[in-house]
Amino acid sequence: MGTGDPAARDASTDPGGPRPWSSIALAVVDGLAGTGPDQLLAALSARSGLACRPVTLAPPPLLEPLAGRPQLDADKLLGRLEEAARALGQVPLVGVTGRDLGVPLFTFVFGRARLGGAAALVSTARLRPELYGQVADPSLVARRAAGEILHELGHLAGRIHCEDPRCVMHFAASVEAADLRGDRFCPSCATALPPGLAPARDAAGERLGPSPLRPSA
Amino acid sequence: MSETAAKAPPASILVVDDEPIVLQSLGDWFRQDGYAVDTATNAKEALKLAAERHHDIALLDIKMPGIDGLELQERLTREVPDLSVIVMTAYASVESAVRALKAGAYDYITKPFDPDELSHLVRRATEHRSLRSENLRLKEQLASVAGPSPLVGVSAAMRHVQDLIDAVAASDATVLVRGESGTGKELVARAVHARSPRRFGPLVTVNCGALPEGVLESELFGHEKGAFTGAQFRHKGKFELADGGTLFLDEVGTVTPRVQVELLRVLEEKKVTRLGGTTSLKTDFRTVAATNQDLEAAVREGRFRDDLYWRLNVFVIDLPPLRERPEDIPELAQHFLERFTLAMNKPTMRFSAAALETLRTYAWPGNVRELQNAVERAVVLGSPPEIQVGDLPLRVGAQSESAGPLSLEEVERVHIRRVLDGCGWNISQAAKVLGIDRGTLYAKIRRYGFERVSAS
Repeated sequence: MGTGDPAARDASTDPGGPRPWSSIALAVVDGLAGTGPDQLLAALSARSGLACRPVTLAPPPLLEPLAGRPQLDADKLLGRLEEAARALGQVPLVGVTGRDLGVPLFTFVFGRARLGGAAALVSTARLRPELYGQVADPSLVARRAAGEILHELGHLAGRIHCEDPRCVMHFAASVEAADLRGDRFCPSCATALPPGLAPARDAAGERLGPSPLRPSA
Repeated sequence: MSETAAKAPPASILVVDDEPIVLQSLGDWFRQDGYAVDTATNAKEALKLAAERHHDIALLDIKMPGIDGLELQERLTREVPDLSVIVMTAYASVESAVRALKAGAYDYITKPFDPDELSHLVRRATEHRSLRSENLRLKEQLASVAGPSPLVGVSAAMRHVQDLIDAVAASDATVLVRGESGTGKELVARAVHARSPRRFGPLVTVNCGALPEGVLESELFGHEKGAFTGAQFRHKGKFELADGGTLFLDEVGTVTPRVQVELLRVLEEKKVTRLGGTTSLKTDFRTVAATNQDLEAAVREGRFRDDLYWRLNVFVIDLPPLRERPEDIPELAQHFLERFTLAMNKPTMRFSAAALETLRTYAWPGNVRELQNAVERAVVLGSPPEIQVGDLPLRVGAQSESAGPLSLEEVERVHIRRVLDGCGWNISQAAKVLGIDRGTLYAKIRRYGFERVSAS
């Protein structure tokens, strides 16, 4: 096997530019943990210029646990979400679950997406502050999950990990690292994303800068 | 500028595992992190890829059918010596991981991977490779700088010195360099070090004559915290610092009898105990000593221990004074001229015939160091493109007047220059001394291209 996998190409470098997305469809898979669907939708809408809408997958995707581990097999679930996205004609489709995710090779994953793929998967299980001895904070979990979703959407748009430590596309393997990078795209990533995904200004017209995540007051 | 234009190319990773799911997961993972990835399901495929393309890092599964990861590691590192190998084990198999590490693997990681651990491991391996290649590059640069001898001279005497350096450099023999002050004894020490197998180790110089006895002891042997008043920190001595390299003891003849005893002990045992310490530390250094004194006479007079003398007097290199090798003077002068014009950002300069003759016939009691200083001064004072006799220090220039005839114009030039310098470039005063009016003096300054230079 070589490097010829078309999914490996950075789609953001295609001469035609990134493909436009009309909306982001959010499907809750087997419930959420630490926050609610409405809060999550609101948090994502606040950070993305695209319309975010809830969808219900029918039938719900088959959930397969990882052998010998109390986790869902993220790759298999992602495969099912990709099938659903194609069936619905909805790109991108984001599945969010409260179940912990893993893959055979990694002890856990916060989320999963293939470069240039149709669907992404994010878990809120490890985003809960109480897991780290802190007070439960549904709003913080929603903002963290929104950040993870934007990160995976970046991959769907063809972006690889960014070297800018304050960009949401920066690699983070812990909640602390994810909080530090925040939930905004750096200018370099933002310009290579589908139009509207990374607005330069918020609803009030204020320019958006780096935004590390902190617990709600 | 594009985003990637200023960046180094991403590291290239070869992943070898017989499980396609592992290759898929790792391939996606590394691509998302910006790495270039090749994957192979067996050793044969991996060796083919390694022969076709460059890889910085290889992740090898230990358990594979046919050629296993350990054997593949051996073959790959034989083909690509600078490849950093990380072995992957399905379970904590310490035995095979240790075998891999002993065979030169950078590290190992156990499946399933913690994402953070894998990311850090690959990042560290990349940094390690970059430091290793930087280290090699710097060593090459150092070798190219240290390689050519800084000793200049075409005379038979200097050729003999060069031959002696070549003969002794490769060994670990102690070298004693003898010569008058300013003949370049430290350059000989540097040349011995630079041509020895220790050239990538440190060259540590101790000027024994410049330090009082107590300070010299502390410098040579180091001291523990609290060894004496003011010893607030542990201090490594020069013997320790020279570990793996060369220790140059300059002006060794000035060492006091008490320090001579300690010096002899360390030179013989190659073990040093810091002042105030109780543990002796092993250190591996080569000794080059230098003196401008008559050590044999010092031994006869009881000022220098004969056992230390014989310890140092293993291989002697005598540096002849400059007056005994006048044929080296033009080359040395030219060498310094080029060095100083470059350092002072001056245009290319040359010596006038008279200036060169002056240099050649001067006795140079201060040897090469005096010649170097004379040329430096001349470059400061001289007007390009030619250095004249008047640009040389008075002592050198004065001898030249008796050494050879000068033209009337040159005498005038030298004289005016001296008067100007003597009057601190006060034109009125200089004109008065010279017995000419200020206008004439200005005309002569222009004619001879004099420039006022603030120099000591």
